Amino acid sequence: MKRSKTMELGVGLFMLAGILGLLFLGLRVSGLTFDMPGDTFRLEANFANIGSLKPRARVTMSGVTVGRVTAIELDRDWYDARVILELDAELEGKLARDTTAAILTAGLLGEQYIGLTVGGDPEMLVNGDTIRDTQSALVLEELIQQFVSNMVSD
Amino acid sequence: MIESPLVEVKGLHFSRGEKTIFNGVELQIPRGRITAIMGPSGTGKTTLLKLIGGQLTPDVGRVLIDGHDVHELSRKALFTLRRRMGMLFQSGALFSDLSVFENVAFPLRVHTELPEAMIRDLVLMKLQAVGLRGARELMPAELSGGMARRVALARAIALDPDLVLYDEPFVGQDPISKGVLVQLIKTLNDALGLTSVVVSHDIPEALSIADYVYVIADGQVMAQGTPASLDVDEDRRVSQFVHGEPDGPVPFHYPAPEFFRDILDLEGRP
Amino acid sequence: MIAHILNLGRRGCDVLEALGRSGLFLAQSAVGVPSREGWYLWLRQMHFVGVLSIAIVLVSGLFIGMVLALQGYTILVDFGAEQALGQMVALSLLRELSPVVAALLFAGRAGSALTAEIGLMKATEQLTSMEMIGVDPLRRVVAPRLWAGFVALPLLTIGFSVIGIYGGYLVGVEWLGVFEGSYWGGMQSSVAFIGDVGNGMIKSMVFALVVTWIAVFQGYDLVPTAEGISRATTRTVVYSSLAVLGLDFVLTAVMFGGFS
Repeated sequence: MKRSKTMELGVGLFMLAGILGLLFLGLRVSGLTFDMPGDTFRLEANFANIGSLKPRARVTMSGVTVGRVTAIELDRDWYDARVILELDAELEGKLARDTTAAILTAGLLGEQYIGLTVGGDPEMLVNGDTIRDTQSALVLEELIQQFVSNMVSD
Repeated sequence: MIESPLVEVKGLHFSRGEKTIFNGVELQIPRGRITAIMGPSGTGKTTLLKLIGGQLTPDVGRVLIDGHDVHELSRKALFTLRRRMGMLFQSGALFSDLSVFENVAFPLRVHTELPEAMIRDLVLMKLQAVGLRGARELMPAELSGGMARRVALARAIALDPDLVLYDEPFVGQDPISKGVLVQLIKTLNDALGLTSVVVSHDIPEALSIADYVYVIADGQVMAQGTPASLDVDEDRRVSQFVHGEPDGPVPFHYPAPEFFRDILDLEGRP
Repeated sequence: MIAHILNLGRRGCDVLEALGRSGLFLAQSAVGVPSREGWYLWLRQMHFVGVLSIAIVLVSGLFIGMVLALQGYTILVDFGAEQALGQMVALSLLRELSPVVAALLFAGRAGSALTAEIGLMKATEQLTSMEMIGVDPLRRVVAPRLWAGFVALPLLTIGFSVIGIYGGYLVGVEWLGVFEGSYWGGMQSSVAFIGDVGNGMIKSMVFALVVTWIAVFQGYDLVPTAEGISRATTRTVVYSSLAVLGLDFVLTAVMFGGFS
């Protein structure tokens, strides 16, 4: 049976290109990251309204990405939203107890993420702690309502 | 001592859709001889070969090859039986993606575990027998019609079968090619002790090499005998066919209203 | 009047019969472990069906990506949302355009070629002679082509998406001035790997199955004349296209329509 080397090479390249393409789609396009399990620590934060925050959203400090949102659940004790964050292990024990977590929007219609602002408390947050000071997402409808009612009352 | 026939067809009935193709056909193909099966076009001669080869199953009747009922065999047994049969199709039917060499080697690779060197020798021998050893690296698209058929013949005898079936081997060939094929069929049959069944409607070629002839028409065997006996057969249908007469039991005119009336456009008028 | 109804009924039975034949055909062809020789046959078909389709798929993908970016920009810019171009291009391609357009192009180029090739083999009695030698043509001729189609089309779809997104980048970022960071960043946060890329691939695999199956079946089942082959190739393209578009609707409703 005549085996054509070029043909085999061609098909091999084709399949390799496909696999590389898939990798590209995974990493560059859909932003898959390889989180190594041991390198993060966990914090929780409760919000009155999470807006359109999604799992896998970024957690930033001063604009630098320091972690991800891993889960969002309904807190059955307080009836608000409990957000679980995974942050870089390097920051464990470095963030003050009164660090604020706010839900911010990237751009006007962009995705929502959590921005952390450090506080001044001498005590630090460790793995499993809850961030007390939180700021919920700005909901456009509520803003408008506020604006309108302010205008009316003027 | 009369040898038992290699192939026997008993009481064959076969229909395709609503059309009855065979309506009680009886054939005996003697061993070691060339048998011609002839008849007007469209009588289903290719279908007959397919029935013998086990590709189609008759509605009623049996086909026996060397005593084995072809359609009762298990898949494995049929596979083994096919090794003993070769078939040459009208169009050659070479595999278009394989070279001449690979085409002839194909049955050897399928049915045997022979080493490459032996396969090479066998293929070259078969190609030599049909006169195309030098063409072994060509692709089927590069062959003329006659050459393609010869390669197909080499492939058909690759496994040294006992039975070779030829489906219209002479159709559409120039006189030289026809002569070559006629010669080859006869020589191979005698040299290799084959039993050959030639389905054809080329009278002079087929009758020149056949030892026995069956004429099939209207789904039945119309006549049988040696070429000499058929030549003088008194049945008008047989003599029209054998002598190629334009008019006779198979009429020249397609059924139509009377000529005089038709041309004067008198139909429909009193 | 009655005659028309009877005719319709007969046509319906013919369709059912053809469906049944094609189902059996698929079952008989696709099952079975390929031999060592079968492996090489598959490789050969991957070349004819996959590698040779690369050109048309990539060129089409590039242009569609570029047009998407162009049109998308003109619409988004009215809302001040042109920085969302990246995710618009990516999601449109990954979810819908890549699987569907790649499948349609594949049906036209590779599908019709498969039908014609198998049909020609049938018409020149190659399939019959293969059977007479004792080889099952379904195993040797049809199965390698089926499996090549199953594998090649999803790969081609990936290529289509990649180059389409790149085309969008060329038009959006290089030409129209969308920020590079927004293009990729917006994409990364909106495109879910499992949800969007994954579902797009599932669609592509379903289309690959259907298109290749239709193509080889039409070739195998046709009337072995020149006219028969030409009719069969037309049927391949038409049926494949309709099937792809119809299935796309069903799959989209299931995957993205939010119905569980």
